[in-house]
Parts: sequence; structure tokens; C-alpha cells
Amino acid sequence: MFSNLDNIRPALKALVSALREDYPYASVLAVEDAWRRWSISRQGVNIDASGFGGGSGYVVRVFDGTGCAEYSFNQFSPQRVPEIKAVIAGRLAEQNKALGGIDPLPTPIPPDEPALLREHCEYKLDPRELGDEAIIDKLGSIREKALALDERIMEAQLGMAHRAYRKIFISGNRDLDETYMWTTCSLAMMVARGQELKYAYQGFSNLGGAEVLDQVEGGLESVAKTALDLLDSEPIPPGEYECVCDPDTTGMIVHEAFGHGVEMDMFVKDRALGREYIDKYVASELVTMHDGSTVDEAATMAFDDEGTLTGDTVIIDKGVLKTGMCDALSAARLGVKPTGNGRRESYERKAYTRMTNTYFEAGEHTMDEMISSIKYGFLLQQPSSGMEDPKNWGIQCMVTIAREIKDGKLTGKVFSPIVLTGYVPDLLKSVTMMGRDMELAGGGFCGKGYKEWVKVSDGGPCMKARIRLG
Amino acid sequence: MIDRIKSALSDCGIGLWRINDNTEESAELFFVKKQLDTRRFKDVRKFRVTVFRDVEKEGKALRGFTSVTLLESMSGEQLREELKNAYYAAQFAANPTYELPDPVQSPTIETAGELFEAPLAESAGRMAKALFSADNQSDAFINSAEVFVIRCRRHILSSEGTDVSYTDGKVTGEFVAQCREPEDVEIHNIFTYDMLDTESLIKKVREALSFVRDRARAKRILKSGKYDVVLSGDQAATVLSYYMSRSAAHMIYPGYSTWKAGDAVQGENISGETLDIDLCATEPCSEEGIFMSDLPLIRKGELLAIHGNNRFCRYLGIEPTGQYRMLKCLNGMTPFEELKAGPCLWAVTFSDFQMDAMSGHFGGEIRLAYLIDGDSVTPVTGGSINGSILEAQGNLQFSLERYDSANYSGPYAVRINGVNAAGTEG
Repeated sequence: MFSNLDNIRPALKALVSALREDYPYASVLAVEDAWRRWSISRQGVNIDASGFGGGSGYVVRVFDGTGCAEYSFNQFSPQRVPEIKAVIAGRLAEQNKALGGIDPLPTPIPPDEPALLREHCEYKLDPRELGDEAIIDKLGSIREKALALDERIMEAQLGMAHRAYRKIFISGNRDLDETYMWTTCSLAMMVARGQELKYAYQGFSNLGGAEVLDQVEGGLESVAKTALDLLDSEPIPPGEYECVCDPDTTGMIVHEAFGHGVEMDMFVKDRALGREYIDKYVASELVTMHDGSTVDEAATMAFDDEGTLTGDTVIIDKGVLKTGMCDALSAARLGVKPTGNGRRESYERKAYTRMTNTYFEAGEHTMDEMISSIKYGFLLQQPSSGMEDPKNWGIQCMVTIAREIKDGKLTGKVFSPIVLTGYVPDLLKSVTMMGRDMELAGGGFCGKGYKEWVKVSDGGPCMKARIRLG
Repeated sequence: MIDRIKSALSDCGIGLWRINDNTEESAELFFVKKQLDTRRFKDVRKFRVTVFRDVEKEGKALRGFTSVTLLESMSGEQLREELKNAYYAAQFAANPTYELPDPVQSPTIETAGELFEAPLAESAGRMAKALFSADNQSDAFINSAEVFVIRCRRHILSSEGTDVSYTDGKVTGEFVAQCREPEDVEIHNIFTYDMLDTESLIKKVREALSFVRDRARAKRILKSGKYDVVLSGDQAATVLSYYMSRSAAHMIYPGYSTWKAGDAVQGENISGETLDIDLCATEPCSEEGIFMSDLPLIRKGELLAIHGNNRFCRYLGIEPTGQYRMLKCLNGMTPFEELKAGPCLWAVTFSDFQMDAMSGHFGGEIRLAYLIDGDSVTPVTGGSINGSILEAQGNLQFSLERYDSANYSGPYAVRINGVNAAGTEG
């Protein structure tokens, strides 16, 4: 798979060598990408193979006297090496002239320690072997079962997306090569209450192939129940409540409320409160948080988009903030080691500090134990969106459904939609129980602000905490 | 390359197709405070080829399509392989048949203006300098910023005879405004212009710096309850986007929206302003090769038109309009000062304000709002609002003052009564 990159690897090395004649640092990241998405709904059947993000292409990074610069392109051949070198020189000269009077941010050139790596992930069933027909048939048959569950279900949307990619990173001292694939499935059901459409959703994901499709049918009953329960939902009386978060909601809190705040490019910009809390308690002692590629999920990779090898970063250790996640440029500016979190939406975009697989460690309780410990509160399920606030650690997360708990039991009453607000450390310090089973979900993408979408997974166990809901 | 693709299509026996040849170049600048972080440049060209395949199933005529991206570096064999795979897949993506867009031809439509004439690096430098020209106070300042200057050349061809090309471009980016005292806070801002609009950017920076000063002294004192809420700028645009979404053919054909032309989509009992909304063409033609023009959408609360891409419009038996990205609201009869007079909560910035077109719910966490009661104006932060356009749409009031962005032109503010807020206390 992806043999094109084998053919041009010598030319990529030649490009880096040619650039190093003029620049103290030069590297190239080459990406070859195969992507396909299948979906079926009332809108019809759709198969799209037109590419994920930018698709296949190249990004060169150099350092000149001003600092870091990058050039993204998707036409390359051995013959184009001199031309690309000239384009970079010309564009840099033009830009530097236009920026006269603006000072550069001092940035040491990140170390380029020697590394040689060839890595790939395991999978059971390549979607290309399964074939478009079988995938559409399977999605269609699950959809029919979903619609047959209850006549009030007016729509069931089924989807599967698959990306296989190969990345080669070459610098003066590094030659890295990885081939990975992830596959995700989605199951959504809709019910109508007049003009208002309510929907319930479940995602499925893996680091691997179409074998994930086998999990989807198992979600039919719970998604249908949630959708139908939403028909009787009402707005929640605002207030602070004892809550049980399901693993997906825990994952959203891990990712949105805390994870973004310890992306260390935010430390460089003085945008993250987390910088002042290193080695301080930010959470209950029950909370230990990780980010990295030592688990197998959709965001697992061997090296990041700046050629830094990945690993496991312990962000919070028993309630104490130990470190953040860091890309190579930010690490150079802060004088710390990069953690393998320099990621790009595609070769067309800048690398930022980004999360990968981010999660809380499991504890020792069951969800039933948590529910039975609550006099009045809610079980929060199905997170729908969230937004970071690294500067002030404010929470904005939305979940679709809050199930009422009274005297240790679910009453059957549901509220929707729900906005979670408050101060992140207050929430994390209020954690009194952690579930014993950890789950990761990699169905979604993460943005930086409102753009730069990268594949991530997040999760944890179910979790009991005190949360402000509205 | 176009000839190579056409030849490969012919070799594969593919008779129905569309080619979207998109070339994009950019200059991108990234700043921390006023210092240059990174410079980036981009030159990419992609050929998105959509192949259509007619099949018959149980006596019914069906048409499927699949799209694939081709690159100039691909060999003839690779082009044929990609197209063959796409054509094979298209038979399994078969839906009720429909006519492809009518063929259109046009000489290249060149967009005029500095953005298209000056070197990209020079334009990026000008926008960056404009951004920082308004950053001249010590208490509130730009923490970090990104500027993207992008130019595109688009060429659309189809087996039906369409051959259209045009240029477009934009200046887009974001900046974070910060104020350290009395509380260290920030507000995230995004901008998009279709020209080198340095004046609008300077105005936006000034306004953002003013807001962030207020956020720094804002108190977490919002009490839970119902408020008359004033939403302004991008939030007003987001609320109105509900009407654009619900009137789209891809929402109506599957029954997600039950709207049809002639419906009183704002409801029957309207005590506020009746809506007048247009959709605006922001490019000469859609990616399917449909020439686009401005479309009157709603007048006096009544839906005039359905809009959308070719397939869903054909299914609904209406002329395809292409997919719109810009909404223009013609309402606005109350001066802003009057609109926010009387007890209300003017919510200025949110962490992420959202409108769910399926449910009609809108809301978000408040970064800065003003509690206004007569002459008393108190900046507040924290808490959230959670409203329903279905409940609120009968009593909307709009400001006389206007607000323009790349996707919206309309009143600067809308007042919505009786919106639930979750406070930071009580």
C-alpha cells in the first residue's frame, strides 16, 4: 500500500539535502492518504472517496534568519527539487520584505536527534477487501432494524468512515515511516416533536479496519431508547447537581474542559492558566489523566507531524498537574522536551499542540454504585459539543440528555439539552467516585478554536462529580 | 491534466462526470503578541472528479455517484485505477435518478481588486500591520493572531458540456484579545473578508479590545432565570441561520424539515418584526456548475423559496439554485440603544454559541454580557443561555444598525424575550 512514497523517498532526501545547503534546519513530511466514507439515510446512499482534509501532499519546514517557515504543496518529482528550493527562497524573501518592522519570536531550532523508524498498525479487515457493496448492505440492514424498533423513529442514519495513511518524515538526522488506519461508524436516530427534531447518537471507532462495523448493531436498543425518551424531555431547572457522567461525557470533560488547557503552545502565548498550576492539585486524588499513543485508538501514531516520536504523557497524577502536551516549536521556546503532540489537520496546515488519545484512568466503582449514592441529581449522557477556555478554565460542554436520579434511583424523567458550565478545577476536585471500566471513543474530530480538525479519541470511566447544569 | 483525466474517463467507459479543478495559493502569518511566530505558504492543485453511474433495480431507474481526488503527479495507470474504483463504487450509491445540472459555459470570470492583484505576501503583511495598528494600549492587547490570505482559481467541467471558470479569494484569520487587570481574561475573535478590508479589521480589533476590558471587570453574578436577551454580531447571524438551514432542499427532501413555499415559517402569532430574508450568491456558480444569484427567501415571515444542490432540488421538482453560504436579513427598525433599553441581558461573546437547526435550540456559555436595567449597566461573565427559536420567533426585534461579515449582512442585534439563563449563583 502507498508505494508512491517508496518511489520518491530518494527525491525527498535530496530535497532536504538541497535545502540544508541554505538553511540550518530543513525537513519534509510526506503524506499519502486513502479515505472513504459510506452513509445511508433518508437523504440516500452515499459513497465518497475524495479525500480526508488535504489528502496526499508534502510540507517542508525550514529555519532561516527570521525563524520557522513552511511550504505546503502537492506536486513533487525529483526534477522539481531545484524549483521548490527556489520557490521557498523567493516566497521567504517577499514575505520578510513585506513584514519589515515586525520582530520575530525568538525560537531555538528544535534538536534533530537521530531516529530511524518503520511502523504500521494491525487490522483484521481492510474495508477495501470487504468491498463497497458489502459495507452498504450491512449499513442498510442495520438501518432497517433501527427503523423497525418503533414507529416513532422517523429516521436512522448509518455511516462508516475509513482512513488509511502513510507518513514519511525526513530531516537531516531522522527517517521515519508509518502506515496506520482507523475506521469509525456512527448510528443516529431521530424523532419528531412538532417542528422540533430530537436525535440520539452513538459512535464506534478503532485503530484498524472494518471489523468495527460488527459493534454497531449492539447500539440499536440504547440509541432508540434515548431518542424516544427525548420526546418527553424538558429544559432543566438551572443549578448545581450531583452528577454521574457516562464514559463519553467523562471523555468530553477530559478533552474539552481540561485537555485543551494543557496544550503547551498555549503556555507560550500566556493563554493557559495550567502553566501556573504545575505540581499543584487541580483535581481530586481519584483523577489521573493520560495522553498518548500507548493505547490503540483512532488517534494512535508512532510519530507526530513534526517528526517527534510519541509515547504516554501523564498529565495529572492523582490530582496533581504534572505537565502538559507539547509540540516541537513550543518545546524549544519553553525549554522542555516535546511530547509528540505536534499535529496538523493535513499537510496543508500548520502544526499545533494537539491531543491524541486522552483519558482518565479507571477507579473502583460501578455506575450503579454511583447512582445509588445520589439523593438528587442526574446521569449525563451523549455529549454533543464542547469548547475550550484554557485562559480561565471555564467549562462549556453540552450533553443531549440528563436522566433524573432521586433517592439513589433513576426516575425515568429526562431533561434536554443540557449546558455544563463552571470552573474546571472545581468540577475535577468534586470527583468522588471513578468507574472501574475505562472506555475510549474516537468517533469525532477536534478543532483548535474553530478550525484545524484532527482525529482524536477521549474517554475514561463513568465518574461522579458536582456540576453546574443549565 | 484535464485532457489526461478526460482520456482516462473515456478509457474506463465513464460517460457521465464532472471535474472540479481547484488551484489554491496562500500566504499565512502566525503571531505571538506582536512577534512573528511562523510564516507559511501553500501551492496546491486538486482535481475532484465525480463519476455518475446509472443502474436499474427492481424496475426502477437509479443514479449513483462517487467522487475521487486526482493529482497531477499520478500516472495514467493510477488515474484509470482511481476512476475505475470510483465508478465501481457508484453503482452501490444508487439513488432515485435525476437530471444532471443544465450545461453552462462562460469565459473565466476574474474577480478584480487588490486581493487578486497584489503579491500574496504583500497582502498578508498589510493585513497583519492593520491588525496591530489598533493594538496600541497597554491594558488590553492582542495576545496572538493568525492571518491567511488565500486566492483560488476554480474550473468546472462536465460531460454535459459545462465549462466555467472563475477566481475567488479571501482574507481570514483570528486573534485573541487579552486584558490582564483586574482579572486576566481573553476573548477569541475570527474574521473573514472577501477583499483586503483593513478598515473592517481595525474596527473589529478596537471593538474586541473594548469588550475584553469589560470582561476583565465583569462579575460572576448572573442569577438563573428568564431574561430578555439581546444577541449581537455573529450571534445574531447564527440565530437567523436556522431559517437558511430549514429551507434547504437537503433538509426538506428527507422530511427533516416540513417547510414548503408559502408556509408561515415564523409561526402564526407574531408580535415582533416579521422576517424578511434573502440568500446571497458569494461566487459566480456552485461547485456543481449552477450559476448563482441572490434569492429572496422569506418575506413577512412567509417562505418564498427552497434552495439547494442539484439532486435534492430535482427531487423536489424545483430549479436547482446551488448551495448558499450567505444570509442577508432586511429587518431592523429599532435603534440599538432603544433595543437594549429596559431590563435585558446583552450577551456579547460566548465560548461557542450554537444554533441546532434540527431542534431549534440555541445557546452557549457567556464570556461577556451586560446586565442592563435603566441607566445601570453591569458587565457579567459565566453562566449560559439556552433558548428555542420555535418559542421565541414570534417576538423578535432587530436593530437599525447593520453588521456585515463574509456570511451575513443584516441587523447588528436581535432582541429575544424570555430566554432561560443558567447563572453562576442561585
